[in-house]
Amino acid sequence: MKWKKLGRIFNVAEHQLPGECIGFSQSPQALVLDDRVRFYVTMREMDSNNKFKGQIAYVDFDLALTSVIKVSEHFPIQLGGLGTFDEHGIFPMNVLRHNDKILGFTSGLSRRKSVSLETSIGLATSDDNGETFTKYGIGPVLSSSLHEPFLVCDAFVLHENDEFLMWYIYGLRWIDKAEADGTESRVYKIAFAKSKDAIHWEHTSELIIPDVIGENECQALPTVCKIGNRYHMYFCYRDAIGFRNVKGKGYRLGYAYSDDLVNWVRDDENGGLPLSEDGWDSEMMCYPHLFKVADQVYIAYNGNAFGKDGFGIAKLESV
Amino acid sequence: MFNWIKKGRIYTPENYPDRPNWMLEFAQAPFTLELEDRVRVYFGCRPPRDSNGQYVTYTAYIDLDKNDLYNVIDISKEPVLSLGEKGTFDEFGTYPFSVIREKNEIRAYYAGWTRCDSVPFNVGVGMAKSTDGGKRFTRVGNGPVLPYTAHEPFTISGPKIKRFNDTYYLFYIAGKKWILSNGRPEISHKIRMATSNDGINWNKINQDIVPNGWDENEAQASPDVTYANGKYHMFFCGWVPSSFRDKPNRKIGYAYSTDLVHWTRADELVGIHTSETGWDSEMIAYPHVFQLNGKTYLLYIGNEVGRYGFGLAELNGELK
Repeated sequence: MKWKKLGRIFNVAEHQLPGECIGFSQSPQALVLDDRVRFYVTMREMDSNNKFKGQIAYVDFDLALTSVIKVSEHFPIQLGGLGTFDEHGIFPMNVLRHNDKILGFTSGLSRRKSVSLETSIGLATSDDNGETFTKYGIGPVLSSSLHEPFLVCDAFVLHENDEFLMWYIYGLRWIDKAEADGTESRVYKIAFAKSKDAIHWEHTSELIIPDVIGENECQALPTVCKIGNRYHMYFCYRDAIGFRNVKGKGYRLGYAYSDDLVNWVRDDENGGLPLSEDGWDSEMMCYPHLFKVADQVYIAYNGNAFGKDGFGIAKLESV
Repeated sequence: MFNWIKKGRIYTPENYPDRPNWMLEFAQAPFTLELEDRVRVYFGCRPPRDSNGQYVTYTAYIDLDKNDLYNVIDISKEPVLSLGEKGTFDEFGTYPFSVIREKNEIRAYYAGWTRCDSVPFNVGVGMAKSTDGGKRFTRVGNGPVLPYTAHEPFTISGPKIKRFNDTYYLFYIAGKKWILSNGRPEISHKIRMATSNDGINWNKINQDIVPNGWDENEAQASPDVTYANGKYHMFFCGWVPSSFRDKPNRKIGYAYSTDLVHWTRADELVGIHTSETGWDSEMIAYPHVFQLNGKTYLLYIGNEVGRYGFGLAELNGELK
């Protein structure tokens, strides 16, 4: 895969942000409209306990992806009420046009006592081109289950042959602080689910992407694009321990391909998106999202510091 | 009206001064398993509160002599199921507990408890198996077997597993909304149901199946269903949240059905109430009906939600 990096196209510091947001624009997820490309991102607000909450906002670009038309002045989807799965943040929201609606697949966060958080996947719909979303119920559509005990999130959904296909992640284990140099750690991996109605999902809990850095490899934010007869997946991965401050342990982009949606070949070296020598994506690349404008394939992603300062894109030049 | 004859307490924690620390307090939500020579009664219990004032809950059992239910012939030596791993849905509690025999194993469906930040807890339904006749159970998986869903968003609790007409039925309760009452989050539950062919993949019917009888805001719990004489009989318990702080008056209700989906509330038939004095004078709750040697029995807890143990009543006549 040969990509041309187009740099950081959105710098949070240059814009007025909705609500009480203090920055960040994590995990850009594209919705292509007639005259613009809308990126849903997660920005951060601080709550009264000085803990942050992820809020969904959008950033509109022109179709050439060179200039910002608008940053949303509102939150297109509201956080959940007391005790709900998405009470303390949504990060991210994947969007998919389906018939005359936009479907939003949210990763909702709620805080826990013994560990920092739990996550589940919710469904919301928009009838107004993604300005506002209404939730389907106040609970999730995919959450922890017998063999996926926690941290179900990061949905990426396509619709093919009358079926919704979802790639997502779930948690395998929490690692005690003592075993993880003083920081809470967890291990999570990519899995796959299918549905006829986007509400009831069938899944086998099988881990579909082989590890390259061992059993503590954390895989997140799968995104898939079909080119010809082949499915191409990007995701980000890192070591469970030391990723915040040990150089080389932070998120990088992984790559895998499949011709049958069952067997995936891990092939990071041919993914074509290594860290840059210097600059905004030199220490970390994370939260990738594949999308097409006309027939051109792009990937949006975050760079250093988990998307604190904005997001960038790269353009696919050849396969 | 059913004619229940109260037979007194079967298990009183204080009568076992050598009981282990993990079963020091309470005896809640009894559920029976009939074995060859005994009736095993599972129930929830707790060690004392920890230094932060928090409880964890375990499930224990006592074995009753089949020919003399007042004769306790054995008592569990350790919790029937460990607490869940770090970060799992059942890290801080594994009760109520219900069981069903499936070929050579005993399957359990139980409520698992975790602790949350903005509300005190969340509850989910787990599944475990025993191959030693129901003394020790191991989890089938580390997550819940009945998932949280759009219309059952949290606090799914009190599961009771049954099998009728070759189908598994899970009766349970689920919450819809946490409400701040004087600054404290409180939750109210209604009785729900799901069906399954394999006990693993469940179809929720997504309805509150038992009509309200005491109050539109009433909380319902412990749905216990028995088939007899052409009808399904459900005994359950409940309370009215607005009066709960002043007077924790849980009581037992009754409903019947011919199809397990449509239930007719008929509390006037329940036939069991609080006593004038004694261990069950303030409340009766967590009913569990079982049949043995042609007789019908009901186990239930008393004052302070089982702090003083559980007792037995025998039905004079039949469920019909």
